[in-house]
Amino acid sequence: MSERINRLQIPMEELTITPGSACQGCGAALAARLVFKAIGPNAIRHRIPCCPDSTTAHPSANSVFESGGAMLTGTWRGLKAIGRTDVQVVGFFGDGGTYDIGFQSLSAAAERNENIWVITKDNEAYMNTGNQRSGATPIFARTSTTPVGSVIKGKQMRKKKIAKIFAAHGIPYIATTSVGYPEDLIAKINYGKTVEGFKMLIIQSPCPVGWRYDGSKTIAMARLGVQTGIWPLFEIIDGEKFKLNYKPRELKPVTEYLKPQARFRHLTDENISLIQEDTAKEWETLLKSDELGRVLL
Amino acid sequence: MIGIRIHGRGGQGAVTASRLLADASFRDGKFSQAIPMYGTERRGAPLVAYVRIDDVRVRERELVHEPDVVIVLDPLLSKEQSVASGLKKGGLLILNSKLPPEKVEIAGDIKIATVDATKIALETLKRPITNTAILGAFSKSVGYPTMESIEKSIRKQFPGRVGEMNIAAIHRSYEEVTPVVQATHTEPVVEESDIAVGGYGVLKDVSSWRVFTPIIDLDKCTGCRSCWLFCPETAIQWKDDRPEIEYHKCKGCGICVEECPVKCIAFERVVV
Amino acid sequence: MVGNKATATAVKLARVQVASAFPVTPQTTITEYLSDMVANGELDAEFVNVEGELSSHVVVQAASRVGARTFVCTSGPGQLYMHHPMHQTSDNRLPVVMATVHRGNKGMMPDHTDLMSQLWTGWMQFYVEHNQEALDTCLMSYKIAEDERVRLPIAFGYDGYVLSYTAEPVEIPDQKDVDDWLPPYKAMPSILPDEVLPENLGGRWDRSDPQKRWQEHHEAIVNAKDVIVEVNESYGKKFGRSYGNGLTEEYRTEGAEAVLVAMGSLTGTARAAIDRLRDDGLNVGLVKLRCFLPFPKEDFQEIGKKVGAIGMIDRNVCLGHGGAAYTQIRNAIYDLEERPSVLEFIAGMGGKEVRVDDIYKIGKKTLKAAKSGGVSTSTEWV
Repeated sequence: MSERINRLQIPMEELTITPGSACQGCGAALAARLVFKAIGPNAIRHRIPCCPDSTTAHPSANSVFESGGAMLTGTWRGLKAIGRTDVQVVGFFGDGGTYDIGFQSLSAAAERNENIWVITKDNEAYMNTGNQRSGATPIFARTSTTPVGSVIKGKQMRKKKIAKIFAAHGIPYIATTSVGYPEDLIAKINYGKTVEGFKMLIIQSPCPVGWRYDGSKTIAMARLGVQTGIWPLFEIIDGEKFKLNYKPRELKPVTEYLKPQARFRHLTDENISLIQEDTAKEWETLLKSDELGRVLL
Repeated sequence: MIGIRIHGRGGQGAVTASRLLADASFRDGKFSQAIPMYGTERRGAPLVAYVRIDDVRVRERELVHEPDVVIVLDPLLSKEQSVASGLKKGGLLILNSKLPPEKVEIAGDIKIATVDATKIALETLKRPITNTAILGAFSKSVGYPTMESIEKSIRKQFPGRVGEMNIAAIHRSYEEVTPVVQATHTEPVVEESDIAVGGYGVLKDVSSWRVFTPIIDLDKCTGCRSCWLFCPETAIQWKDDRPEIEYHKCKGCGICVEECPVKCIAFERVVV
Repeated sequence: MVGNKATATAVKLARVQVASAFPVTPQTTITEYLSDMVANGELDAEFVNVEGELSSHVVVQAASRVGARTFVCTSGPGQLYMHHPMHQTSDNRLPVVMATVHRGNKGMMPDHTDLMSQLWTGWMQFYVEHNQEALDTCLMSYKIAEDERVRLPIAFGYDGYVLSYTAEPVEIPDQKDVDDWLPPYKAMPSILPDEVLPENLGGRWDRSDPQKRWQEHHEAIVNAKDVIVEVNESYGKKFGRSYGNGLTEEYRTEGAEAVLVAMGSLTGTARAAIDRLRDDGLNVGLVKLRCFLPFPKEDFQEIGKKVGAIGMIDRNVCLGHGGAAYTQIRNAIYDLEERPSVLEFIAGMGGKEVRVDDIYKIGKKTLKAAKSGGVSTSTEWV
């Protein structure tokens, strides 16, 4: 499990090349900055199409959208073949490349337990093309392909529980984290760096343009997501051992997270109570898992 | 035929402005064409859009390289881009600026009109989205499209209350735009360069993305590192246990202002 | 030795470091041979069993980029499925070598439509005649693709079933000779963190002229012809076997009034037909079109000067256009002052059997056109 760090233990060295072309207040740009600080310079960064975040001072490899897992596999096997296993193989993908179009190849790479990092900046829609729904979009959220119409209002399906899905592959390490909790994020990378095999980190990365809130509130939004239980912070080792990293005495009501975001503006009281119930139920499962130290579905 | 180039930033509605101009012109019996920037749009990133207005159907598909009119939606853009580049001799530059046209430091055989569209937008729309606020100034300075047609186009684009707020904005800019005057400045301040548009990769200076600028009061700073830690663009350096803003990297998102636990970072509107 | 075994043997001789493939008939046994070789320690390579062809392609693409020699193989639908990343592999100028065991796009049986569907991906393409040539072409492909003047991926195709599962004698070169002839591969430019050039950090690229990448890529393929000729020659010197000039190979063309052109395994059947034609006193020769991309335009211009008619037997059809090679040959001879007739024959589609007698008839028709001088634009389905 990851070991807690404090703010003073966050590396000072910046590995991003800035300013970049991300929007003002981009959560993913911050995610990239924090992740690669902790990863360090000895890595090859892999890209598939996604919204621009932060460019980092790493050699870069890219391939087709649907191929994240295969690309990382190829690099890792190639490095093995030429005797350079010291180099870290890091994929920094969006939720589209993880939950949806890239899922198949990632699942196969997880099953083969390739020695790679898969890091997802989850902004809960296809933001690069202008906010279309993805498998990561939460229920009822408005996107440009789940509009608020007179008949259907927002997305009608729930978000995939991607961390548990990958945990079910029995991979050595998977964790969720958030740009609102940099110490948690960096502690998890630090731990992952000691693990050989498939490592995955799902980072909540609020998007002011798609979620429709003011860009200055990105961190506040991330924190509210965690504090309401909508975005729990946890880690799972070998598909089994479980730890909940953030456990407040009481969760805030989900409305505190939903209300400031215009993508949820149309929600009815009924919609909100459904989200509240879902969240409470999942939170109960997570608490129980934490108590047992073993993941429950 | 007249060609128009509109400079703006992602989120200011340059593309919408181009469509409204084209739509209103068509309502006035003209043919028109609104061309967005080819590429990806990022909030805050500079971009351009083009319009052609003619008495016959517009056929050409190239961009407008020698515009008759240039509209600049953002007061800071003229500091980082040669917004008058390619503007025809005697052409008109409509700038969103607090300054009177005589004080605008853009040289050339061109005419200039200015309007403080940001102020109008903040007062009518409560947000610095200047695309509609500038259209009234265009109608007044160029003589068309008619305000009636612009109103109709706006109502179609923004039904309801938002439309009425935008219509208030165009009327104010129609009234408040300065007269058109010949440019008096002689030294070009911006080097002639390609018009940089948004997209991917590393940029040089994003100062002009800011509508508001963070200013740290170091006397009140407790050294908690929150501003440094949460800045997506590494615009805040940590030196001698104190933050220091590298303004060319700051897009003015306001995260540092929001996250400072002792509220020692002010957020001030950029004035040009 | 069957065709798939010949290919797998070449992969071993080339000391491929990373290979990946997804089983698809009729390529499947290559994946099994390679798995065996790796399992038994005969081949010191990473063989990655993936969940589909697209991933197999991207695995070797990425491995090639960091500096491993790579191999991938597929057939028919698998070839179509990996179309998307093929563009990236060639755009990144990665010398991946691929075997396409032909399976047509309509059914299980062979024609060349799988690989012909990849014409626009920026790969070089070879079509081979027999199992020995499959082995030899595989080895030559590494030498050509990895040449610093080329650095482009190569696909070589051979007909499924007809070669893949047909056993015939194949001479296997000595490992030591192959090692002497084929030096180890090094990625260029390196993307290892300690070797990467500062200007390549962060994956920045020049956006000033988006068309330039296309022009450079196109010219690189066209200019690879010299290297292909050179490698064919040096292979011949080292191993005693070469194939014409590497691009095309002529058979009994001396004094021919007409020539037939064939690709892949049909060439062998055509050789037998040419012998019969010659026996009957008919002056028809044969040209094997071995390298289809880059297209050996100059070779056909030379041939076009010597004969009255060319009969192209395409085992592919671009629906609505016609045979891909036929179109190219007509294009090539257009610059000649006196042009021969070019006749289009489409044969062997969907695995339809082509017999010596069929090609004998094609030969007679082509010869007749040479004598009459008429230009036929109609297509004959054999």
